[in-house]
Amino acid sequence: MDLRAPDPQERPAATRGRILIDDVVKIYDPEGAAVMAVDHCSLDIEAGEICMIVGPSGCGKTTLLNAIAGFHEITSGTILLDGEVLCSRDRPKAEPGPDRIVVFQNGALFPWKTNLDNVVFGPVMQGKLTPKEAMDKGRAMMADAGLSGVELNYPGEVSSGMRRRVEIVRALMNDPKVLLLDEPYRALDSLTKSVMHEALLEIYYKNKVTIFFITHDLEEAIFLGHKVAIMTTRPCKPKKVLTVDIPHPRDYSVLTSKRFRELIEETNEAVHEEALKAFQAGEKEG
Amino acid sequence: MEIALNASLQDADLDVLRATTPFRDAPDALLRAVAAIARRARYGAGERVYSASDDADDIFVVVSGRVEHVFTPEVGARDPLKRMTRGGVFGWAGLLLGHTRRLATVTASEPTEVLRIDTEALVKILESEAVAGNAVMERFASLIAREFTVPELLAQVRRLAGRPQPEEMTSLGLTMYRMSLWLKSPRPYLMVVGFALLLGFWYLTVEVWRLPRFKEMPGITAVIREWLSPNPTYGLSFYTAEYYQHIGMSVWRIAQAFFLATALGVPFGLFLGWSRKFKEYVFPVFELLRPIPILAWVPLAIVMFIATESAVVFLAFLASFFATALNTMLGVESIDESYVRAASCLGAGKWQVFRHVIMPGALPFIFTGLQISIGVSWFSLVAAEMVSGQYGLGYVINTSYMMVRYPTIVIGMITLGFVGYATSAMVRIAGDYLMEWRVRELALAER
Amino acid sequence: MARRVNRFLTSSVFWRGVISIVVFIVLWELGARSKQWMAPEFFAPFKALLGAMGFKKDYLPWIGVVPAPSAVLAAWGDVLTSAGYWMSWYKSLFRVMGGFLAAMFVGIPFGLALAVSRTAYGTFFPTFEVLRPIPPLAWVPASIIFWPTQELSITFVTFLGAFYTIVINVLGGARSIDQRYFQAAQSMGSSRWDIFRRVILPGTLPSIMVGSAVGMGITWEVVVAAEMISGGGSQAAGTGGGLGFFIWNSYVGGSYEQIVVGMISIGIAGYFSSELLRTLGKYVTPWLRVR
Repeated sequence: MDLRAPDPQERPAATRGRILIDDVVKIYDPEGAAVMAVDHCSLDIEAGEICMIVGPSGCGKTTLLNAIAGFHEITSGTILLDGEVLCSRDRPKAEPGPDRIVVFQNGALFPWKTNLDNVVFGPVMQGKLTPKEAMDKGRAMMADAGLSGVELNYPGEVSSGMRRRVEIVRALMNDPKVLLLDEPYRALDSLTKSVMHEALLEIYYKNKVTIFFITHDLEEAIFLGHKVAIMTTRPCKPKKVLTVDIPHPRDYSVLTSKRFRELIEETNEAVHEEALKAFQAGEKEG
Repeated sequence: MEIALNASLQDADLDVLRATTPFRDAPDALLRAVAAIARRARYGAGERVYSASDDADDIFVVVSGRVEHVFTPEVGARDPLKRMTRGGVFGWAGLLLGHTRRLATVTASEPTEVLRIDTEALVKILESEAVAGNAVMERFASLIAREFTVPELLAQVRRLAGRPQPEEMTSLGLTMYRMSLWLKSPRPYLMVVGFALLLGFWYLTVEVWRLPRFKEMPGITAVIREWLSPNPTYGLSFYTAEYYQHIGMSVWRIAQAFFLATALGVPFGLFLGWSRKFKEYVFPVFELLRPIPILAWVPLAIVMFIATESAVVFLAFLASFFATALNTMLGVESIDESYVRAASCLGAGKWQVFRHVIMPGALPFIFTGLQISIGVSWFSLVAAEMVSGQYGLGYVINTSYMMVRYPTIVIGMITLGFVGYATSAMVRIAGDYLMEWRVRELALAER
Repeated sequence: MARRVNRFLTSSVFWRGVISIVVFIVLWELGARSKQWMAPEFFAPFKALLGAMGFKKDYLPWIGVVPAPSAVLAAWGDVLTSAGYWMSWYKSLFRVMGGFLAAMFVGIPFGLALAVSRTAYGTFFPTFEVLRPIPPLAWVPASIIFWPTQELSITFVTFLGAFYTIVINVLGGARSIDQRYFQAAQSMGSSRWDIFRRVILPGTLPSIMVGSAVGMGITWEVVVAAEMISGGGSQAAGTGGGLGFFIWNSYVGGSYEQIVVGMISIGIAGYFSSELLRTLGKYVTPWLRVR
């Protein structure tokens, strides 16, 4: 697979998709059980950056993602996208929109539409492209991602690795500022996962988009990300934020490099500590 | 790609060929000839081996690694996705009658090594070996049909030149072939045994042994005689127009009730599932009325609708409506939230979400509901016809009893069974037609 | 727990439900009394409009002839003191129980046998599927001819109704047991009987309970109908009886309020018996209760 980026820099120049998470608090059921899911969390994500969020299951990282996406309210604090307020105490819920598209954990390709129909859904619904234009663009993007030949199959007929890639293409068709990925490769076997990682990076090098990626896999995080934020167990806030100084473009040889191992050593203990806390608290799978 | 000159490499090739379905029992001489023309090739993880519509030049045998093979929908394979490891054979499109282009897209999911065998060269080798060559071709045919689940019509391999050929398979021929497969399994015989037991039991208890309670019942011979007689004693048989009038009447009533219930019940159910407020206001009343057995409505219906015809249709409608609305509502509620969220992320407005996500997503449940509803509809209709009404199968059964025309009761019952089944099947077929994606998904799940 | 009940009673969900039921009853009352309030001259144009649409009476179509809730309540008060009413309850319940238990007793083993043995399935399932579309009520005359007492004939028809549902549910449940449970059991060295007892039976139990709750509903439908058809046909005192007969009798006797009393009674009876089964089901399958 060819991983040469169009211009060999550490990250493609991007001017949009900067996320600022400022002192965000989320409390579920404030008058009842009052469960705090997010505890004064602040995080700065640069435009065009791959930011990996690592934490034990159930710690509240999905809540953060949902707040950015516009599915959940926040209790206080502010989230800004490129300087504009997405949600705050006064306006607790953002509007979901095609500038921040989510790729779901168990996949959300519409099973009743073919892969191509799924891919063109966004532009067609928004009226941005005519159906024919959308189909042409869709076919081109699918071919780019190595998916030509399965346009007319239904999602249920292709492997889960392929489904993930179709979902990412569906998102990218809308030229989003941010891609929000909620443990997208969790259900895949490790061999397919490594292929998916390289596919994601290849797509990333071709498109200027900020990636907010939730995972519990530290190796995945350090392999992919520019920045890795290790979250505490519930309520979550960044325990340690790490800048991964391995240059992009990366390929699987990175996994055995010295620097990679050093970074894992630095962060492993922090992750393990939180995982143990979560285990003792008896967290259910989130 | 390298040409294998090394002897030990040749032996390794022979081993791989012996591990494949088509070449498994082929003689060594044939295998050596095939290995001689085979070339090795390597693919990296994620690399495309070939795409659908490329030229079908080589046949591939997997030596190591793993590939994913996805048919295009046009092929109509029952399971379009197939993964193969060592010993897997693909790329055989060139062997099929009338095909020279690839039918599938194949990708290596791990680093993979294959043998590539030129199709035309292979055919020549097979033609030169009299018996063994034909056997290999037959093996290919069975591989394509069974392991790759390609429909028989498509999976017909080319003839080898110089051989006496079987007749080309016409679609009649194919049907006969499929029937012969079914007949060879134990299923049809067991089925016959089951029916024979039932009918035998009926015949023996009523007419031969004349057991105490059974002897009053109409016997099977009496029923058959009556049903098939052009001049039936009690007035109803296949030959009388009246028979069909009654059937038509019942079916017409069901049609009215069912379509009305669907037209009202589906939107009602969709709205109940979609809008929480609406549900909170309306569902309690719905749930209050639902437990009342439909037949308990009979006298009230007669009072309300002075014409008994409307009363009868109303009762069938009511049963159908409850079932349809409830199942539709459940269908909407069972749609995974992720789909709705994904759609709103992608910029769809509320009505677009409703049309593109809610409606297709609820469709499987809706059709289950429709099948239940038609069953329930018949149930209520028959009861209503038995209690009050003229014409119709329920009426026939009831009056036959009153007038001591016992064989006709049974004729009525069996007819009801058939017609009820046929209407159910129609609903199911309509559902399969509208939900092609679901049929394929279910077929894959049965693997 | 008390706090949860309290929160429900004060929630908007609860009050919206109450409002809708109240509105429903009010509309019913108004509609039923339309003969009275539509009488004065004031409503003449409205009546003319109805006439133009084809409804030529002096009251609202359909709802105008239905007895009003107030009248129904009054009739119910009267009926509660009559022995005949409670006798009807008893008789219907008795038939329901009889038919239902018989259906479980025969249906569950039959369904399990079909699920476990391919031979049994191949032999008996097609016959079962051919008989199933025949509505149970169509069996009533045949049943009356066959069985010596009316009681048994009604119970038989009731049995049939529930039997089909239970078998289908048992079959569906057995087939949907995850293959891995079988494999796990086999790898741990279980005998066929063990697998049956410890994998198939518990695995099918949820479907059996669902099937029986649904079957219970069908049983009530059939009982009511059977009582109306057989009991309603004959006027012999002492035979027949049951709530279905009660309704039919009320109709024949012209006391329409009692019809509605009967309808609501059966609704209550059916609802509670289904709920009972559902609760029993939850008790019997504790592993399905999610935290």
